[in-house]
Amino acid sequence: MAETILFYIFAIGVLFAGAQVVLRRNPVHGALSLVACFFFLAGTYVLLAAHLIAILQIMVYAGAVMVLFVFVIMLLNLKDEELGTPRRTIWKGIGLVSVVGATGAVAWRGLGSAYDSVLAHGAATQLTDMAKHTLPGAPFGSLKAVAHAVYLNSVLPFELTSLLLLVAVVGAVVVAKGKI
Amino acid sequence: MNLQACLLLSSGLFCVGLYGLLTRRNAIGILLSIEVMANAANLNFVAFSRYSGAGYGQVFALFVLALTVAEVAVGLALVMALFRSHRDALVELASAFRH
Amino acid sequence: MNFNPNDLVGILPAVILTLGGCALMTTEVFLRKDGPDRRYQPFLAAVFGLIALYVSLSQLGDPSATLFAGAAVADGIGRSISAVVSGTLVLSVLLAAGYLETLSASRGEFYALALFSAAGMCLLSQATDLIVVFIALEVMSLAVYSLTAWLRKGTKPAEAAFKYFVLGSFASAIFLYGAALAFGAAGSTRIADLALAVRNANAGSSMLVYAAGALLTVGFAFKVAAFPFHMWVPDVYDGAPAPVTGFMAAGVKAAAFATLARILIGGFGDVGASMGPHGWQSLIVLLAGATMLVGNVLAVPQRSVKRMLAYSSIAHAGYLLVSIAAMAGSEPRQDAVFGLVFYLASYAATVIGAFGIVALIERKLAPTGASDDLTTWGGLAQKHPLLAAAMSLFMLSLAGVPPTAGFMGKLGIFRAAIEAGLVPLAIFGVLTSAAGLYYYLRVVVYIYMVPSTKPEPVVGGRMLTAGVALAACAVLVIWMGVQPGAFATLTQSSLAGFGK
Repeated sequence: MAETILFYIFAIGVLFAGAQVVLRRNPVHGALSLVACFFFLAGTYVLLAAHLIAILQIMVYAGAVMVLFVFVIMLLNLKDEELGTPRRTIWKGIGLVSVVGATGAVAWRGLGSAYDSVLAHGAATQLTDMAKHTLPGAPFGSLKAVAHAVYLNSVLPFELTSLLLLVAVVGAVVVAKGKI
Repeated sequence: MNLQACLLLSSGLFCVGLYGLLTRRNAIGILLSIEVMANAANLNFVAFSRYSGAGYGQVFALFVLALTVAEVAVGLALVMALFRSHRDALVELASAFRH
Repeated sequence: MNFNPNDLVGILPAVILTLGGCALMTTEVFLRKDGPDRRYQPFLAAVFGLIALYVSLSQLGDPSATLFAGAAVADGIGRSISAVVSGTLVLSVLLAAGYLETLSASRGEFYALALFSAAGMCLLSQATDLIVVFIALEVMSLAVYSLTAWLRKGTKPAEAAFKYFVLGSFASAIFLYGAALAFGAAGSTRIADLALAVRNANAGSSMLVYAAGALLTVGFAFKVAAFPFHMWVPDVYDGAPAPVTGFMAAGVKAAAFATLARILIGGFGDVGASMGPHGWQSLIVLLAGATMLVGNVLAVPQRSVKRMLAYSSIAHAGYLLVSIAAMAGSEPRQDAVFGLVFYLASYAATVIGAFGIVALIERKLAPTGASDDLTTWGGLAQKHPLLAAAMSLFMLSLAGVPPTAGFMGKLGIFRAAIEAGLVPLAIFGVLTSAAGLYYYLRVVVYIYMVPSTKPEPVVGGRMLTAGVALAACAVLVIWMGVQPGAFATLTQSSLAGFGK
């Protein structure tokens, strides 16, 4: 029961802060709302037994991404008139209603009813070992279980991520330079 | 609290991000909206992982975390390049959807 | 521990390209700012590209093997696409060499990023796990975004790169959401497990499967520039340096189409029953028809050859989608797979050549700030008869006139479509490509019939390496057109291990 109440508090927080991210004109407010949004999201991750993801979410976003955003915003030193004037068109409203309506309907009616079949598949014996992977002695979502899956069963994605980070570093440095 | 509620939250957050992407005219705002969308997808992974017992979803979420951060780094560098050449961050995204 | 060092042999082309990028990054440290000692860099990059090309060609006939416990696969289509990507890379860096030198923007990072991006493309075409697909896609994309913003002249490059980044990240987010739903349906991100979930889908989970398939397809439709997700193409292709545009058009398309085919056939091949006898085929048919129509129609009014080629690349994405539609089924149709690979190879050779010649004109125009217009092509035939002949050849090949590579490519794809029972789509494709003749031949008319308006030469800068690359493109285009059988090993081995 307490979990359910917490979940709904976090969910409202996520959506409210997320709305602030996209509605606030000032980018600093937007970046701060993003962090708030991700704090609430980390809360739901804890409720979903993903403790490692939750703490990394906070550390990476509050510690790194937010700083990066605010740093760039300060560096660019935006003036008020450069932020643009908000436009209110009827299309925004129509788009919002239809997008939220469509996705909400899919999530509520369609994806929700898939819940049972998801459980059925989880129990199916046909899946490859990776899908069923569990580590004896390591509870679900614990650091040990996730680390085991990352370092022993995901060699290629892990190595490929290092290449991605190298590309991102080189690309960001080259692009941000004033002169080639 | 069940899988349905998580999926609904995730699709709601995705819509918020999508709405921001379509309506924001400010380059930083567009980047923030993309972040929101990526994290909405991540919530799906964690939720499915919890309710189906397949722990691999958390691994995927972990990689996505690293990937979105790398994307932000390049995106912010591009914003700076854009500012240098324009001196205003107003990307007419309307023109992105025009021929 | 599931790591077997032999698995690295399976992804050897990507490993070689990555090492090449690292080597370029390392040597860059020791160079002076603006010395002549940078001249070797494009050739070093080309050497690594050639080694990767050689490796992927020599592995073509090998039996397919599962790598990294099912995260990737070394199969026919992966190797064929790796060969196409490596060849694309070699030609592009040779074309970029003189271009960057003329615009004094020659740096090792350019070639390193190109090599990294090619490594991402190779891995993308070999990935059989959605997480590997996603990371490889990002490696490829982040490098290409940075290359698009390479030049610091005017507002166009930064604007193009940012637009590309926004729409690319949007596509990634959609792909990610689709991958999450696929994970929900299958309990795993392996494409093989996804196929299992698709086959066993019941009334409840089929909704999940459809949503996942639709979102994954939309994500890739952005990357390959299919209608209605094509709006970024003209500005991005126009704003990027011309050699990069060629690399994007050929390499990104090749890798993305191979992966799209792998996901749709390998993962969703068995979608049936509730969705009609051919599953998603009818949706791809619609997408292909609309893409061919829109690309060809929008290309007609373009005055800039670079923009015209951008719109024509949308049309070519449509032809490639025809081959995907023709493949539909739980077992991919052989001739459609051959057609896809052959078309990707022929399109790569042609479009890189075409953008290479655009690059020669662009680097001459760049200091004046003017952009490429049909009138600047006037007089090319008098001053550079060989370039004029090559450009005409590439235009004819893009239009699909025999005896060029483009004709054989279109022939293969439309024949496969007819055999798959998609006769109306094939007829529609032939009609739209006939409409394409108009804007391709208009370039040839300007080259040969319209006199130059200015006395100075049309193209500028050193031409040797670019000439070699263009000659290679031209030879490939004629060779593939006259003797397509010589490329049979490339296309026919692509079927090995594909599908299941």
